[in-house]
Amino acid sequence: MPKTLRTTAAWRIAFWTTLAFSLGTFAAFFIFYVFVAQEIRARSDAWLTGEAQVLAQVAEDTPRDSLYDHVVEEVAELAMHEVPDETSSGGERMNAVFFLSVNPAADSDTLFVGPGPKDKFWSAIRQARWVAGVPQSIKVAGWRQTAASFRVVAPAHQGPTAIYLGLSERGDKHILHKLTRRFLSVWAGTVLFGLLISYLSARRTLQRVERITETVARIGSEELDERLPEPANSDEVSRLARTFNHMLGRIQASVNQLRTVTDSVAHDLKSPVTSIRGTLEGALSAANGEHWRDAVGQAIEGLDRVSALLNTTLDVAEAQAGALHLDRAPVDLGEVVTQLVSLYQPAMAERHHEVRTHLGSHVVVEADLALLNRTLSNLLENELLHLPEGCQIDIRLRSHEGDAELVVEDNGPGFPPEIANRALERFVKGERSPGNGLGLAFVDAVVQAHRGTVKISSRPLGGATVTLLLPISALQPA
Amino acid sequence: MRLLLVEDDLAIQRFVEQALVEAGYRVDTASDAKRAEALALEGVHDAHIVDLGLPDMDGLDLIARCRAQGSSAPVLILSARRSVDERVKGLENGGDDYLTKPFALAELLARLRNLLRRSSTPQKESARLEVADLQLDLVGREASRRDRPLQLTPHEFSLLEYLCRNAGRVVTRTMILDHVWRMRFDPATNVVDVHIYRLRSKVDAAGCRPLIHTIRGVGYVLRDA
Repeated sequence: MPKTLRTTAAWRIAFWTTLAFSLGTFAAFFIFYVFVAQEIRARSDAWLTGEAQVLAQVAEDTPRDSLYDHVVEEVAELAMHEVPDETSSGGERMNAVFFLSVNPAADSDTLFVGPGPKDKFWSAIRQARWVAGVPQSIKVAGWRQTAASFRVVAPAHQGPTAIYLGLSERGDKHILHKLTRRFLSVWAGTVLFGLLISYLSARRTLQRVERITETVARIGSEELDERLPEPANSDEVSRLARTFNHMLGRIQASVNQLRTVTDSVAHDLKSPVTSIRGTLEGALSAANGEHWRDAVGQAIEGLDRVSALLNTTLDVAEAQAGALHLDRAPVDLGEVVTQLVSLYQPAMAERHHEVRTHLGSHVVVEADLALLNRTLSNLLENELLHLPEGCQIDIRLRSHEGDAELVVEDNGPGFPPEIANRALERFVKGERSPGNGLGLAFVDAVVQAHRGTVKISSRPLGGATVTLLLPISALQPA
Repeated sequence: MRLLLVEDDLAIQRFVEQALVEAGYRVDTASDAKRAEALALEGVHDAHIVDLGLPDMDGLDLIARCRAQGSSAPVLILSARRSVDERVKGLENGGDDYLTKPFALAELLARLRNLLRRSSTPQKESARLEVADLQLDLVGREASRRDRPLQLTPHEFSLLEYLCRNAGRVVTRTMILDHVWRMRFDPATNVVDVHIYRLRSKVDAAGCRPLIHTIRGVGYVLRDA
């Protein structure tokens, strides 16, 4: 057997299945064999006992005159023709029967009917102990070359002579041998056939797994868009293929996102770094001390933007990974909104925006106040960054179906259509946006960490709407 | 005032030490936890400034070891970790404070002053603040300049109070947000600046010498110069 075959799972599956099957069927046959053998012997014994009884009766009833031998012999001959299942094979009688009547006192008073010489039977019978009416097996040595096995019974009988009736077990054994031979040939065929079938079907299934392995091995980080074929049925292997495809999809999304993040960070870092470098270089070549002071100030501002970008990128990554630590406490959302609006009001007024708050009811949520402040300030910073002058901003707060619903709505140009569906993703921003594309991603991540949701939409008549839904805390008074 | 500065990055150690010396502190420095522990246990320092990422031991473990051996000086933690450790927050309750890198020197100095004030005996709170010809009545929450009252909103008064308490020292936008609005984030817009412009237009009205100055790249300072 080639080594490669033995190392395949298909071969191991087929081998062990077949081994279990063959041992099982063999055990079943063994039980069947024992049962049949016992049944055949029981039938032989029943016949033997019956006939022996008849012969004993005849021997008793017949007067011991010159006719005695003749009558008994006649009856014995008759009995022999009634042997059950007498078959002959190659002209040879399978069920040889003998009858022996012995008078231990007078050696001449012996009657023997049967095949072969009387002495051999007599010596075999003499070696055994006899209980009247109970058949037992004896071996008759030297009869027909090999020792033959006979089933012999000594019936209960009165008189000077002992009577023995024997039936060869050759026929029984022949039947059992034939049964065994036929079973073994069919069994061997079945086992071989089963081995072949189970090996082939296991191989067929495992070849599908092998194909998945090959495809997956081929898919490096460069060909992440390749997918495994998904068969229509839903067996284990198909599910494996589907699971792999899902996993590949997730990996591809992560890799793409990572690329976007790296590209965006690199891009967003390059411009402040370039301007910081240029400013400082210009300051070096200038002689004026006041110019230096100004340049250093500009450089620090640039560096602050760089570190803010790095910090926000890390914060968003952490929040999206679910690693954000929340310091939850009951927070009055109306209070938070009022505070933030008071902070942003002058900056809004500078851009001629009108901010109106609609704080319907007293809403308390279980939240991290610092994160909530940053989240809501992100929304207001967005309004400052993106709206043209003279817009209107409405902030509505209400409790709605067990959630605190906070809506920030403006009448500006709305989300650019190309990003409307992805505005909550990292580094997704409008073409002319001055932001870093992290604001809404952070909002989304923080709200999700609070088990809330963020919805964004552009209003039909222009303007953007951002809706935050936060689960209301259990502390909320009814 | 004598400080212990534990920082393994020599560039950072150098400029922090310089800033502290310029602010009038005596400074001992250590670059690893072993030396820091030996210095801290002399018990001569009024405060410790400890960087968490030390080469031979975690900064928090160093602090714990010093505490266990009887050091009671307040600790200002410097950390490069963005997400502030639970344990750091725990320490905060014990009179300590933390700053994440990169930080403004102005904020470092302000927090240090705060720590030292907290650990020393409380001073009697003054009811009035005066800087040049600017006067603040902290009880009535009214301000006047050249004896003429200024019309300030409550937030504007708080802002002016914060600037006056730190007169002569630069405060950053983040510090202003933290102390006046109780919010901790770095605004990306001019939201704080607009408040300062408004306050300045009232405090430094025409004919007055300007008191509120912008320090480009850092923040604002209120001083008579």
